[in-house]
Amino acid sequence: MRDLVARWAQTVRRIAGMPNYEAYVEHLGACHPECPVPSEREYYELYLKVRYERGGMRCC
Amino acid sequence: MSALIWTLVAGIGGAGWAMLALHRGETVNAAWLVLAAVGTYLIAYRFYSRFLANRVVGLNDARVTPAHRLANGRDFVPTSRWVLFGHHFAAIAGAGPLVGPVLAAQFGYLPGTIWIVVGVILGGAVQDFVILAASVRRDGKSLGQMAKEEIGPFTGVLAMVAILAIMVILLAVLALVIVKALAESPWGVFTLLCTIPIALGMGFWMKVVRPGKTLEATAAGIVLLLLALVAGRWIAASPTLAPVFTLSATTLSWGLMGYGFIASVLPVWMLLAPRDYLSTFVKLGTIVGLAFGIVLTLPVMKLPAVTQFVNGTGPVFAGSLFPFCFITIACGAISGFHALVSSGTTPKMLDRESDARVIGYGAMLMESLVAVMAICAASILDPGVYFAMNAPLALLGGDAAHAVLAVQHWGFTLAPGQIEAVARSVGETTLLARTGGAPTLAVGMAQILSGVFGRPLMALWYHFAIMFEALFILTTIDAGTRVGRFMIQELGGHFWKPVGRISSYPSAILTSAVIVAAWGWFLLQGVTDPLGGINSLWPMFGISNQLLAAVALSVGTTLIIRAGRARYAWTTLLPLTWLLAVTSTASWQKMFSADPRLGFLSHAAETAAAVTAGSLGAARGARLVFNDRIDAVLCALFLAITWAVVLSSARVWLRGSRLAAPQLARPDEAKGVA
Repeated sequence: MRDLVARWAQTVRRIAGMPNYEAYVEHLGACHPECPVPSEREYYELYLKVRYERGGMRCC
Repeated sequence: MSALIWTLVAGIGGAGWAMLALHRGETVNAAWLVLAAVGTYLIAYRFYSRFLANRVVGLNDARVTPAHRLANGRDFVPTSRWVLFGHHFAAIAGAGPLVGPVLAAQFGYLPGTIWIVVGVILGGAVQDFVILAASVRRDGKSLGQMAKEEIGPFTGVLAMVAILAIMVILLAVLALVIVKALAESPWGVFTLLCTIPIALGMGFWMKVVRPGKTLEATAAGIVLLLLALVAGRWIAASPTLAPVFTLSATTLSWGLMGYGFIASVLPVWMLLAPRDYLSTFVKLGTIVGLAFGIVLTLPVMKLPAVTQFVNGTGPVFAGSLFPFCFITIACGAISGFHALVSSGTTPKMLDRESDARVIGYGAMLMESLVAVMAICAASILDPGVYFAMNAPLALLGGDAAHAVLAVQHWGFTLAPGQIEAVARSVGETTLLARTGGAPTLAVGMAQILSGVFGRPLMALWYHFAIMFEALFILTTIDAGTRVGRFMIQELGGHFWKPVGRISSYPSAILTSAVIVAAWGWFLLQGVTDPLGGINSLWPMFGISNQLLAAVALSVGTTLIIRAGRARYAWTTLLPLTWLLAVTSTASWQKMFSADPRLGFLSHAAETAAAVTAGSLGAARGARLVFNDRIDAVLCALFLAITWAVVLSSARVWLRGSRLAAPQLARPDEAKGVA
């Protein structure tokens, strides 16, 4: 049940383009195990920078 | 079995169109319109998009997408097909497909619907799909970069200028839409003002209190938003508070400019990110709600299929069916802006190449369906109410009593007291000349949704719809001003280094002020325009958006030809030719038409004559003439850019078809398997 809620939340976050800390940590572990894992706070900063660096245009 | 299903789908779509054709001159249920559209979309998706995917572009799952090749867990993230479909749809759907069709309803519901359905199948969805596929094969490069690399640096710069000009007009016209919806409406203004502290609170929560916990903050934000919506009713009813929140159109315009300026300078976590989440969810929720509402209530459309205004004498905006129906409805049929999204975040998240078909082509079909629903919402109103709400006050005669006569003169009926009764039922003091489409859509949606949930909630639904449009338009103003600021910083940095420092405060403040002044100028011009502003600004927005689509289709054609598939280039050349005919005719008429309602220059001449005759003050006259000339120059600029891009692309096409280099794939990759 808990698992189901978590997966559902994951889907909603992805559709809205929200930050996805778990997925990032997973990616780091799989592809760059040598890199330090950022805290969720550091990750959020990074996310904001990447997503809105060009202003984050949505459509009319 | 499959043949049987597709015959059935074709039958349903055909039945929808047949019902529309047979019921000319009497009312038709909106369900037939929706069925006709959906049936046609399904057929087009099954057959035409497969042809595009297999033959024209040659999607090939053996080719690894950038989401895998460049995976970084941030922007390059492989995302499952349906999640990305939702994400892409949320990014392309905005106010455009809702407002344009409402305005174009002055021609009747049929012309707009046919254009939306045919335009998306052969134009809009093709553009989105081809650009997405091309960007995926170029590591997610943007439209501007592709234009520069595939056609030439000059075209790249032109594309940049085009995007900047469109941004300015887009922001001005969207701002005008909410100014028209919120002026003299304390309920709406209060609700919209509440979104600012709510967003700030969410931003603080996500950044400081519980970093990255966006979902819980957004859920709380939505609850607070709904509370603000309900509280707005008390504000509007309070004799002391209502006047505080009753703002004139001019005051609102200055307020919006101030907001846009501050929001684009503030860090993104404070306002932009939280607003972005709020508007995404409210938007998706409202679209789903509207769809359910139409299916559950099956409303009857009262607007005629075709009105006499196809000849260009309509009060909502000037100009005849061709080209202005195809300019007014941009976003639901073909929208150049989508090319920016299709070459922005989406290509970096595509899991497999074959997903591009449902995401590029399919999501645009969904957006088109939203536009069809907007036409339904406008068409279920009494035609008299529709025209009383959408004609400028000057044409309505100034007050409700004269409006009854004016509407009768146009051949529709508006009972005395009818428009006032509708206004009261939605909690507004007046709905006369509420141009801009948003209030009309809101009344239509309120009628549909109150059909499901009961009449007493009508006012709440109306303000919910207004809040939802205002919310995401404000988000667009925030994001768009910021994007414009970055573009000016990038362009300006070439001439004077300090301007190019993106995060330096002096540069950010200076360039934000420039971009706000640019759109604010057009906004104020629209607010003070005696013909109501939407009349001149919306066609300009349509022209600029179609211009961007023409740029995107030129790039698409270039890519197809350079991939050695010139025999399939007609798939993009066909919509491109149509758009060229439409935008060229429309900008020509906006500049040089002898009708002062339509042509900027003849309107300037008429104004000058009025000043000479003494019926108009010299200062105001001079300002109007100046506005008209600027508008005419802008139209000329749009026209020149479009043709420059198309002609410089055509040179590459003629060369490229001889070279036939397999460039749709990156040079180091194999040519796609058909």
